[in-house]
Amino acid sequence: MNAKVAGLSVVAVVAAAASLLVGGTWLAPHTVFGALLHPRLSNDVTTIVWRLRLPRVCIAAVVGGVLAVAGALLQGMLRNPLVDPYLTGVSAGAAAAIAIAIVIGVAAPALPAIGFVAGLATALLVAALARRGTSIDANRLILAGVSLSALFSAVIVLVLVRAQSSGYASAIVAWLAGSMAGRGWHDLALALPYIVLGLVLAAICAAPLDALRVGDMRARTVGVDVDRAQWTILAASALLAAASVTLAGVVGFIGLIVPHIGRRAVGSDARALLPACFLIGAAICTLADAVCRSIVAPAELPIGVLLAFVGVPAFLYLYLHDERMT
Amino acid sequence: MIELSALTLQIGARDLLRDVDARIAPGELVALLGPNGVGKTTLMRAVAGLHRAARGCIRLDGSDVATLTARERARRVAFVTSDDVLFDALRVRDVVTIGRYPYHSWWNWRASDADAEAVDRALADVDATSLAERRFATLSSGERQRAWIALGLAQCTPILLLDEPTSHLDVRIAHEILSLLRRLTRDGKTIVCVLHDLNDAAAYADRIALLGEGRLLALDAPDRVLASDLLERAYGLGMERVRLGDGRIRVFPRDRARP
Repeated sequence: MNAKVAGLSVVAVVAAAASLLVGGTWLAPHTVFGALLHPRLSNDVTTIVWRLRLPRVCIAAVVGGVLAVAGALLQGMLRNPLVDPYLTGVSAGAAAAIAIAIVIGVAAPALPAIGFVAGLATALLVAALARRGTSIDANRLILAGVSLSALFSAVIVLVLVRAQSSGYASAIVAWLAGSMAGRGWHDLALALPYIVLGLVLAAICAAPLDALRVGDMRARTVGVDVDRAQWTILAASALLAAASVTLAGVVGFIGLIVPHIGRRAVGSDARALLPACFLIGAAICTLADAVCRSIVAPAELPIGVLLAFVGVPAFLYLYLHDERMT
Repeated sequence: MIELSALTLQIGARDLLRDVDARIAPGELVALLGPNGVGKTTLMRAVAGLHRAARGCIRLDGSDVATLTARERARRVAFVTSDDVLFDALRVRDVVTIGRYPYHSWWNWRASDADAEAVDRALADVDATSLAERRFATLSSGERQRAWIALGLAQCTPILLLDEPTSHLDVRIAHEILSLLRRLTRDGKTIVCVLHDLNDAAAYADRIALLGEGRLLALDAPDRVLASDLLERAYGLGMERVRLGDGRIRVFPRDRARP
């Protein structure tokens, strides 16, 4: 394994371990360690660790990791460092569907599934609009993604205006701002098959993604089936983004910024970049979630808001000062 | 060995080239000439398996290019283009290593000793070993062209196609590139190269393939092609011919502005 990727694995594990300690109540490391070793003990610490914090940390790690991988896939495919995983309209489509579902009174447990299906359906529509022959046109993809996202944002605003009087607005805003509050093992188990499928597809795409760095035409000349690679990358990124939306709502900036950090850390070889992005995204998201859980405890800060506050300056710094960016 | 049989290429529904028959032997350097828009790049793309023939057949070392998988094709023919599309700050070695793609399956990620050897040899062949660790973006036009050719050489194919490898290059660097191609044919590599300079084509190529009027007008020794009136037919322009002391012919467009 690449030594830098191994180092990032350690960082991700340390970040996850640290975020197990913080929350509404501070837990000492040895207490958490003891609870992890004895999951069947019936005391408060074991309950907090196994039923509240560990699933939360796992979900945060998975959400951060998969969003970062989805961002790296799309940035590589489109050779555009400004692309994020929500370009395919997944978040806007999912959020609009969830907003409508909340207003018409759909039960809360059904919302993640509705978001997942709507997110994937939007990505399919964007892909269909971006199709040129058997391949995907990068400009059309961006145009279709941005256009449909704008359309669905308008739908969300309309629903929010209507929902103000009925008191549903706060539930919708919670999805839009991104939050993992109330999520548990069950939610993770439901999303896991799609995440595994998305990550397998991402692994399949790693070598073609490397070749695509020198352009579609050159990638074809070295034997890449560019059309198949594009569709696979799009499917992987849509699955990963849609699965993350079901777990945490709309979490911005991870998918945009982490690939930049990953390229600085390990270069743009996808075979190192994709695992590195997963680990960096997981570390950032678990730490950010820990801050959100503890900074205004017992209330919680939406993770999307925190990441935007930290993410915008970080992105501007990277974009303006990173000489590696194209 | 490249064999074209009754090949017709179309753009949309329009015939671009009709009934092209040609045979290019191993170790031969052929310059592909013709006016802009005649179909030179499309023909190269078709030979590289990137443009489907409307009719006829393209065989690479006996195999129909249409029946080969993308990886099989990329192990037989390398196609060097001049566009500078690049994502992220790649080193020259990173770029050249991409030429090893056809020798890896998706689950076999690790670069082998054979990969490292092929990349080193490709860099040495184009005299770019000293550039290996340089960022691609910092290279001059000539150095970039050498790096792109090295990418094609790293594919270790018996056939190398180049689309305008000397465009935008000064006369010295163009000479270096064409001399390099000449050297590569000594190992038995078949090279087809799109050129615009008629005299460069005559100086370096074994044969000239001249496209015009929607077909292959000639595939013959440089002096025979330059001496014929086919150039006038292909380009729609009068040509002056000068015979050098050693008997070779050089051609120049007739200057209509002068009396």
